[in-house]
Amino acid sequence: MRKIRTIILVLFVLTVIGLLVYSRVMAYSLAPTMKPADFHGLAIWEIPIAYLIDYFSHGWICLLFAFVAAGLVYEFVPKEAITRYMSSGRIVGYGLAIGIAPFLTVCSCTMVPLFTGVLYAGAGIGPAITFMLMAPSSNILSILLTGELISWELAGVRIVASLVVALVAGIVVSKTPWGKAVEKEHQITAPAGQASVDIVKPPLDERLLAALKFATYIAKQILPFFLLGLVIVGYVEAYLPEEIVGTYLTGITGVLLASVIGGPLYTPTLVEIVLGRGMWQLGMSKGALLSWLMGQPYDVANALAVSKIARWKVVLTYMIIAWAGSVTFGLTYGMLSGSI
Amino acid sequence: MKEVKIEVIGPDPPCMRCQATKKVAEKVAEKFRESGIMVEVEKANIISKEIVGKYGVLISPALSVNGVVKFMGRIPSESEVEKSLKEILEREV
Repeated sequence: MRKIRTIILVLFVLTVIGLLVYSRVMAYSLAPTMKPADFHGLAIWEIPIAYLIDYFSHGWICLLFAFVAAGLVYEFVPKEAITRYMSSGRIVGYGLAIGIAPFLTVCSCTMVPLFTGVLYAGAGIGPAITFMLMAPSSNILSILLTGELISWELAGVRIVASLVVALVAGIVVSKTPWGKAVEKEHQITAPAGQASVDIVKPPLDERLLAALKFATYIAKQILPFFLLGLVIVGYVEAYLPEEIVGTYLTGITGVLLASVIGGPLYTPTLVEIVLGRGMWQLGMSKGALLSWLMGQPYDVANALAVSKIARWKVVLTYMIIAWAGSVTFGLTYGMLSGSI
Repeated sequence: MKEVKIEVIGPDPPCMRCQATKKVAEKVAEKFRESGIMVEVEKANIISKEIVGKYGVLISPALSVNGVVKFMGRIPSESEVEKSLKEILEREV
């Protein structure tokens, strides 16, 4: 019984991977193919329908793969090893914060506990901030979608940029007097041994099932917002004149504006990717697009939760650094790629 | 009478996955109570200093049995929780 279940689950996972490989080999585009001009002449109610059909006829493989991959990674990443090392030294802490954040953070409810855990018992406020900033911008779901919907070049740049920003913000905050004060106030000695943690190793079929359940769970959390985002993008592409985008979302103004409006609009639901793509199709520069995608540090829900534990000064410090970082990287990338 | 204490460790207010974990724990507790073993299920706050001091850094939802974390970052199935409870009971006999 157990064996049969394992085989079925493994087959399902392989099929999903196979589908993605197949679409690669056949050189399918997994991104929507409609251009803004295609929307002219459609009635108001037809626009979202046309856009959704267009998106899902291409995008379902990518979405399915992204959610399954996120579930598997989250389940199979060795969590106990990570949490054990999280409470060792500072440098290890930064390294782990960067290396691990992408795999652990598909679920926002793990973010705040990990942040406080690292702050209280672990490597201190620097790595805690680094982890928290790194997480939403480079988790496996958003990287896959950025790569598929926009370009893999931009996905790569986004990882590097958010890595640097998260690291700088973490180090700077840990050096400020108010950062140190928060750290001192909260530091407690972690348990010496790991006797209090003894994780049970479940059988493979339980793990696979848990992974797929988790994939369904995040899909349920994210898809409603994602769909709403697609509907909005459909209208944006249909009604936002290209001249406006061309005037305001290019050049240095474009980067500045994108970095500012990308923030409040940021929701950790992948909407920023579709919306960014829509604007890019309408003529937003690549530099501005990167700044737009780096708006995650202003995520209000997270900032509120963090400001309860750390002080608002800490939140403000990392927000300013993150904003400056998104402008700097937007401009640099824009210039290097010749699209500013 | 044997006693077992389960802690479901998650953020407060509880996230959906922690609630699901708690439900699993309560169902198992009910089963054990029928066979005469007291199983107490408690919710613990993952961001309290007490819990972090006791267990170190955790990923929610986590579940501990008699002060030892057995599951974390996932919703365990009923049979998994049952198994680890039985193991602990056997060891204590």
